[in-house]
Amino acid sequence: MEQSYEEEIKILQQEIEMYEAEQENCMRSISTEHGDVMQSILKTVCSHKERGDGVLKKDVSKLITEITNMETDLRRQTKISEISLSECCVKTLEKRKRETIQQYRLSGHCRFLSFQVEFALTEIQDSDSFLRKVTDLNIIVDGAEFKDLGAFVSRVEETKSLYLFFRTLRLFSDRCDERARTFRYFKEKYPDVVCLPEGCSSEVMIIQSPSLTGYTMNIYWSISVSKEGVIKPKIELLMKMPDQAQQMDSQNVMETAPECFRSLLMIFGVEISIECLIKTMHF
Amino acid sequence: MENVRQQGVLDHLMMLERAGTRRTERPQHSRLEELRNAIATLHVKRDRLRIETVAVKNLKQKMDQGMPLEDHDYGDLLQLEKALLTSRHMKLKDLQSAHSLIAGYDLMECNQGKSVCVSLHTAFEGVYVETYNMEVDLTRTVQISRHNIPPYVPLEMIAKQTLQTDFKGFLQTLSLHLNALAGRKQQISLIMELGTVKVIERNQLCNFLILMCKAQEESETVLCTLEYGDLTRYLPTRVTIESENTTLVESQQWRKNRLLLLEFPVHCALLTMRKMGSIA
Repeated sequence: MEQSYEEEIKILQQEIEMYEAEQENCMRSISTEHGDVMQSILKTVCSHKERGDGVLKKDVSKLITEITNMETDLRRQTKISEISLSECCVKTLEKRKRETIQQYRLSGHCRFLSFQVEFALTEIQDSDSFLRKVTDLNIIVDGAEFKDLGAFVSRVEETKSLYLFFRTLRLFSDRCDERARTFRYFKEKYPDVVCLPEGCSSEVMIIQSPSLTGYTMNIYWSISVSKEGVIKPKIELLMKMPDQAQQMDSQNVMETAPECFRSLLMIFGVEISIECLIKTMHF
Repeated sequence: MENVRQQGVLDHLMMLERAGTRRTERPQHSRLEELRNAIATLHVKRDRLRIETVAVKNLKQKMDQGMPLEDHDYGDLLQLEKALLTSRHMKLKDLQSAHSLIAGYDLMECNQGKSVCVSLHTAFEGVYVETYNMEVDLTRTVQISRHNIPPYVPLEMIAKQTLQTDFKGFLQTLSLHLNALAGRKQQISLIMELGTVKVIERNQLCNFLILMCKAQEESETVLCTLEYGDLTRYLPTRVTIESENTTLVESQQWRKNRLLLLEFPVHCALLTMRKMGSIA
């Protein structure tokens, strides 16, 4: 008798778990796929609801308070971490008594750099310990800025260092921002001398003499990220002049210029050094 | 009490134990009744869930097809509202947990907005380790009112540098320190798992470590001292190798080993050294 009861309980519990999982999945996809529709329905529902039983009403108002608080916290969190998620898809892959595996698919941007991150999160609850770990990490970053990030990204995927990835992304975007701001500043100040062939967020800035054709100074400002996430900006100068002029270059300006520019950078910093270069062309 | 004095404490305890076990031996029929009750409750729960699930599924289907919803679609407006709010709640919960998994900290308003509770999470190689909590008072000047960050973490120094002027930067630096600490700590437990290398000295900050290993061929003892000069990193800044056998220490293989220890997490470096036959 006892045994058959216990079996029935087991079956009922399994059914309950199944319904719960099904409901959860359904709920998740509603808010993921129909977020806007949902919000508008909620608004109309809120405006004409009067009747209803007390318990349900209480549940609803509790949910509303919790949602408002969560939204405030999330806004703050996004502002401080500077990671904003535009898509967040969570799927429960496995759910056993002690172990849950969920798949996270996130996309969003950290400052102006967009990313897509995918990973599985395993949670194992033992009587005295709780283990959470990330596996199967996959990162996609695209955009012109990221072309040298490949080695770093694969290292992050290998070591599953999500924190390192986002910390580096933030610092990297700082450096990119700095470069873009500098380029834009010179473009605005000397519009007829400075040329940004690939826009201000690329790594090239060309200084052209308005009066002398064929004379250009190319500034290559690259930002490299090492495997460990160390960010190093590197600024280099490349001179170009017509062949004729090169033959007359008795002081070897062409060859020595990059080295001179490097020492200039060390002593005066980026902005003054570039300003100096522009002044030599802009007479 | 009289009894205790007469027969001693142990006897009394034994008596209590007997009484205790007797109580658990309940009559058979009440156990069955309990089970029957449990079944009844579960039945109710299951039926409620079944109805709810069907309703949620219908709702989703209607939304998928872009059909307008009517009152009777969900029995009751309040029910519909609850379902939709639950869905939104779930979404926000997912967003929150995603954030804490990738950003390393959670912020939660408390005290009616007068302070924020910050939970700082740490992880090493994908495994989440400790979480530290901190309450930050925002009323006038930003102040840490309570926290459980261990005293050997230079919290005060970090706070002095950035807490007032750059809260973002403060959290990032603190998180970097805590994660580096977690990384160093985790590496030590991974060394212990290797079994053959002994940790003979370590400190709380885990920035000073002496390991004892056995060189495989000469069966000589080698001491590796790892110093972590940069507390924001989990890799050492200085590695010294010592042994009575000086030719061994100066051998090319051990020079390579030293570089390995500088460049890779210590458990990985030791594993490689073992694979190459340097250590037992």
